[in-house]
Amino acid sequence: MFKILIVEDDDALRETLEIGLRSNGFDVCQAATGTDAIPVFEKHKPDLVLLDLMLPGKNGIEICQELRQTSGVPIIMLTARTDDNDMIRGLEAGADDYVTKPYKIEVLVSRIKARLRPLKQVQHTIIKLGPIELDTLSHEVLKNGKKVSLTPLEFKLLLTLASHPNEVFSREMLLEQVWEYTYKADTRLVNVHVQRLRSKIEEDQEDPKLVLTVRGWGYKAGPE
Amino acid sequence: MLIGRIYKAALGRFRSSLQLRALAYTVALSGSALVLLGGVLSFSIGNGLFNTRTEQAELESHRATFAVSRVFSGVTGTNQQQLSKAIAEVVPELESIGVSQTRQVAFIYSGSKDSKKFSSPKSTNFDLALVTPEFRARVLATKDIESQTVQISRGGESIPAILIGQRFEVPKGHPYELYLVYDMYNEQQTLGFVQRTLVLGGLVTLMIIGFFSFLVTSWLVRPVRDAAEVSEFIAAGDLDRRLPVRGSDVIAVLASSFNHMADSLQEKIKDMRQLSTMQQRFVSDVSHELRTPLTTMKLTADYLYSQRENFDDLSKRSAEIMHSQMDRFDQLLADLLEISRYDAAGVKPEYEVHDMNGIVGSALESIQQFADSKGVYLDVEIPSGAVQCEVDVRRIERILNNLLTNAIEHSEGKPVKIRVAQNETAVAVSVTDQGIGMNDSELAQAFNRFWRADPSRKRTTGGTGLGLAISIEDAQLHSGVLEVTAAPNLGACFRLTLPKRQDVLMGESPLKLAIEAEH
Repeated sequence: MFKILIVEDDDALRETLEIGLRSNGFDVCQAATGTDAIPVFEKHKPDLVLLDLMLPGKNGIEICQELRQTSGVPIIMLTARTDDNDMIRGLEAGADDYVTKPYKIEVLVSRIKARLRPLKQVQHTIIKLGPIELDTLSHEVLKNGKKVSLTPLEFKLLLTLASHPNEVFSREMLLEQVWEYTYKADTRLVNVHVQRLRSKIEEDQEDPKLVLTVRGWGYKAGPE
Repeated sequence: MLIGRIYKAALGRFRSSLQLRALAYTVALSGSALVLLGGVLSFSIGNGLFNTRTEQAELESHRATFAVSRVFSGVTGTNQQQLSKAIAEVVPELESIGVSQTRQVAFIYSGSKDSKKFSSPKSTNFDLALVTPEFRARVLATKDIESQTVQISRGGESIPAILIGQRFEVPKGHPYELYLVYDMYNEQQTLGFVQRTLVLGGLVTLMIIGFFSFLVTSWLVRPVRDAAEVSEFIAAGDLDRRLPVRGSDVIAVLASSFNHMADSLQEKIKDMRQLSTMQQRFVSDVSHELRTPLTTMKLTADYLYSQRENFDDLSKRSAEIMHSQMDRFDQLLADLLEISRYDAAGVKPEYEVHDMNGIVGSALESIQQFADSKGVYLDVEIPSGAVQCEVDVRRIERILNNLLTNAIEHSEGKPVKIRVAQNETAVAVSVTDQGIGMNDSELAQAFNRFWRADPSRKRTTGGTGLGLAISIEDAQLHSGVLEVTAAPNLGACFRLTLPKRQDVLMGESPLKLAIEAEH
């Protein structure tokens, strides 16, 4: 049974979320303030974090950054703000996905399941992309032989692109294949994660050689 | 043609330049005054000269009479020889005396008999034609001096002169007439000089007046021009512009009241902006603040809805109603938030190249079920091949969804026609129904927030009333237009026209904006 950490300051919403998640077969732990979030996370070692951005004590962005320093745990932001800046900042801080209030429990559950679903079992191969090597089984990524730490989502994004080098993926295709969205979602989700991925694997973020932007279309894996 | 054009241009310049007009009027008026003054001056000077000369001439005539008498004083008795000699002396004598060097003399015998004995001597250049019979009759009728103005010719030039005539009796009672011509050449010259001086002086004065009035008008017009310029700037939104205030004259008063007006205008605008920003923020805040409890309610309603089979009938129905109304509330809040974001100019579109046929296709696909439920046939006419355009696809889908929902809802079961077309610069989609339509006053409000075509109609889709208001914002965001035409009971046609690329002007729409006659 997967354990979900709910970081949400509104008691009623937190409780309702707990009911909703438990009725969908998840185990739940909770943090009501920003300051509680990290200790609860370390104590319960949840499989996924639902994170409200507006929190007393420590805000969601900071918690996100802190979690990302030690963990690749899937983080889904729960945001009342459809204000784009907050959403983008949350994604840049390391959140994998976001759900905007008010959401339906089905939507939230499907987002959670998408993030917890293991990668499809593939043959054990090493995919090479320039100086990067991806181990499809151990999910290890080496850059010039040195280990690069990617979150599971970043790994999935890189794997999707690198498995089909020079093939253009539109943002919608990536949302569908990496995030498993079956409906329209914000394509900036892709943009931000490509940026994060580049910052980890590219020599020069401003002049990417491995994950290339195809203007007006989307992205493709480097010229190898 | 050319002259006409120059005239037109000059007229235009004249009309548009206050200063030029003021200058022209000043110069024209002072010019007329100068002409009048010059005329009066020239007339009175001429008159004075003439009178002086006449008086002088008459005075000299008396002296001449006296001189002639002296000539004859030595003549006695009947010495004909002596008399003839004296008669011959009259002319040279009179030519030589006095100040008038240019005097002409004629001494004419008035009698009828013995004209051989009595000669009629005259100065060589005396033109006897000057002495008209009428004048002669006047001279003969009186003992006094008679005078008349005449024109004489001198060196081929006609100059005015005074002709003076007087009866004279030489001894023994022989009647003679003495005629003297005093030319007025000098007076003429003087008058000419005076007139030339007046004209020249007038012209110079006029130029000076012109120059000064130019200076004065530009000094007066400049603040007005400045004010006009500054008010243009203020009208264009540069509210910090002010006029310089110098001194305390009427222009300074104008400037300071202008500035005062601009100040209070700016203050008002600032207040309004602040109010508007506050309102926008309030709407935005309210929308945000509602989200957390709404989420809780929605999750709860969803949970109850999912458990409804375990409830009794009334509770079950309640759970269903709550569930459906939650969605409506949700949509309303989402629309409200979207509008408030537009109001706060916080919308950042994401443009990508898409095929409009594809966008329309997916919009049709998602609306098909609703159309079927209403029994409305969707008649689609799209061009073959791709209709590429640079759009924020979510917003365009939202517009299309809105237009299609509205059309189906108001079509009263009649077909709805969807067209796509393109030209060099623009892409257009039109959605035309043949339903209830709208009258002109309804048409004017079609894009207003929370406005509904017919409030008495049943709301079947639970639209928020913000759909078209958001759609028109979406269209404008793309530098496009969303237009509508309608007629009561004939239907309505909505047309969305978008530029193909965000860096080109879209020009004409490739589709007509018209409702169609019933098939």
